[in-house]
Amino acid sequence: MKNTRPVLDIQNLSVGYKKIPVLNSVNLCFQKGVFVSLLGPNGAGKTTLLKTLAGLLTPISGIVLVNGKNIADYKRTELAGIIAVVLTEKVSPGLFSVVEFVAQGRYPHTDFFGRMQKKDLSVVSSALKMVNATELANRQLSNLSDGERQKVYLARALAQEPEVIILDEPTMHLDLKHRMDVMSILRKMCMEKGITIIASLHDVDIASKISDCVALVKNGAVTGIGPPEKILSGNTVAELYDFDDANFNPALGSIEFCGNGRRGKVFVAAGMGTGAVLYRLLVKKGFQIATGVLHTNDLDYYVAESLGADCVAQTPMEPVSEDLFNMAAALVKQADYIIDAGFPVGGQNQLNTELIAYALAQGKPVFTLRKAEDTQRFLKSDSENLIACQNEIQLLDKMNSHL
Amino acid sequence: MDNMTTEIVFHNKKRLYLFFSLLLVFLIAAGGINMTTGSMNISLSDFFNIIFKHFTETTQGFIVWKIRIPRALASILGGAYLAVAGLLLQVFFRNPIVGPFILGISSGATLMVSLVMLTALGLGMPGLNPFLVTLAAFIGAGGAMIIVVSIASKVKSGVTLLITGLMIGYLCHAVTSVIIAFAEAENVKGFTLWQLGSFSGFKGTELNIMIFAGGLLLILAFGLSKPLNAFLLGEEYASSMGVNIKLFRILILLCSCGLAGLVTSFAGPVAFIGLAVPHITRMIFSTSDNRILIPGSVLLGGTITCFCDLIARSLFAPVELPISAITSFFGAPIVIILLLKRNTSV
Repeated sequence: MKNTRPVLDIQNLSVGYKKIPVLNSVNLCFQKGVFVSLLGPNGAGKTTLLKTLAGLLTPISGIVLVNGKNIADYKRTELAGIIAVVLTEKVSPGLFSVVEFVAQGRYPHTDFFGRMQKKDLSVVSSALKMVNATELANRQLSNLSDGERQKVYLARALAQEPEVIILDEPTMHLDLKHRMDVMSILRKMCMEKGITIIASLHDVDIASKISDCVALVKNGAVTGIGPPEKILSGNTVAELYDFDDANFNPALGSIEFCGNGRRGKVFVAAGMGTGAVLYRLLVKKGFQIATGVLHTNDLDYYVAESLGADCVAQTPMEPVSEDLFNMAAALVKQADYIIDAGFPVGGQNQLNTELIAYALAQGKPVFTLRKAEDTQRFLKSDSENLIACQNEIQLLDKMNSHL
Repeated sequence: MDNMTTEIVFHNKKRLYLFFSLLLVFLIAAGGINMTTGSMNISLSDFFNIIFKHFTETTQGFIVWKIRIPRALASILGGAYLAVAGLLLQVFFRNPIVGPFILGISSGATLMVSLVMLTALGLGMPGLNPFLVTLAAFIGAGGAMIIVVSIASKVKSGVTLLITGLMIGYLCHAVTSVIIAFAEAENVKGFTLWQLGSFSGFKGTELNIMIFAGGLLLILAFGLSKPLNAFLLGEEYASSMGVNIKLFRILILLCSCGLAGLVTSFAGPVAFIGLAVPHITRMIFSTSDNRILIPGSVLLGGTITCFCDLIARSLFAPVELPISAITSFFGAPIVIILLLKRNTSV
């Protein structure tokens, strides 16, 4: 990346209300056209920081440089041409049509009476187009759904023709579709218009996938900043939000909930993606899971790790070794139930089928999701002792009734 | 695409002109009817003769020039100013149920006027200097407003604000009643008449103050319409779009207190015009754009108040009813309707 002058540069900033600092000694630098997400628990000071960046609050100490000039030295209208905001509160300006509302964004560019010139109109219409809200233009703002409103708020900010758009929790109250819409619109603004987006977000998974840079805010300080690929490891996210029973997996980009495991131990013989959904289901229903032998490049492995399962793992491309088999067998011995997830059997995980045979030999209840002809092929006569299930739901039913 | 948006933004331009011309016609009609009807019947042809030939010698001429025209003008201006004052306050508090009367601003003005009219403060003046009463009303309006604003900045709830305004109104009334109790009976009569509210008895100087001071404030208010529109989105959005909030707050308060104080000082407290007229204007034009609402409220406020004045003085003639009685009959139901369907906000 070229080392150009940053649009926003924060030096040793303390922010807060009424001289009581919420965040201290913040040093951040925002380049043109980057998407920056602020992550952190509620009340960490994200909103205060954003409002200070937008010039809506005066910093307690330190300075905010906008294009190299102190934010306090700007005239309000001048600053409005550089920074636009989208705040959390619902705006209810009364009887405004969508297009009239978006046209308010032209405020810093229009004359004394706010008259719209040709150029203003074309900016407004292209702003509406960019957020896919052209068809809303004639509707009343008060009649829109939350999702439509948020898009219209974005259009208003865009109509201001700013270099930076600051958003406070832009996806709050939105359904999944509009959440995705809003995020992809923001991404588009960033890529196509070179607008710097600074947004506080709650969805770590979305933030990690969409932002160029994340800043972590906690305990009165910015505890980390950088590309999400570098910053967001499972531990940092868990620490940021004080997760007790959940984990963030950067590779999957999702949060997994660990259960309490009170309903007993289950050993799942899985692999090649057959276990992922099953693990989540079992954890959700309160089982503690153990699994193996998995290769460390297997999706099942990532999910199992995030769920806090006991996991016996082998390096990729290597066949399951005797040692690992014995470790897995020890887990089988401890388990109350054994489940065969119906993994495809190949040269490298051949031994996993032996685990099932071992479990049967130990007299454990063994459930299988595999088709009958396959089980016969692998387990010969033993297959009669398996409890066959057609799907995960049936499996749960059978586990419940088994005792 | 561009053409479409042009159409969208200005689609109501024709309707706009139509409504403005209609309102203007109503205003002229209201003024005309107010000037020609009364205890002495003056035919339309006589009226035009008097107007265009400047007859002031005859009784009819005297009545038209010295009584009816000032009164009609005063009621039109008073209504217009109160309506704009109310509109500004509604935007300022972003609350549809505020107005100069409700927020205790009229009561503050009443208190200060009672001080001037009933105590030694004003007795040194020969007659009653209209400037002094105006000044007192303005100070009273401003004082009450500053109290309401300082409380409003601490609480966000509209209902709290409303109750605060009412309480300030009661307090002012309490102090006023104490002043009345100690005042001389002769002075009290004048004050009581003033307090009932009436647009009668406007003299040339008073009318001039109304026209010029009020006119200036109206122009200022209209000049504020762009930031007023931005302010509808909330203070922070307005600030982020380039509104100088501090200056804007001062100007808007100056304007609304000035306008409300001006009318109150001459005509006494007039209820509900400042609250109801902006709403009706909003409904007529179905917009919240203050560039349209300010001139609209001027026309509609003038028309309605002029009609109310006409009703006040002709319904039980020769007994003249207080103007607030009529405006309340018309305004109070509107407030109730608004409270019932709160979805029409500012």
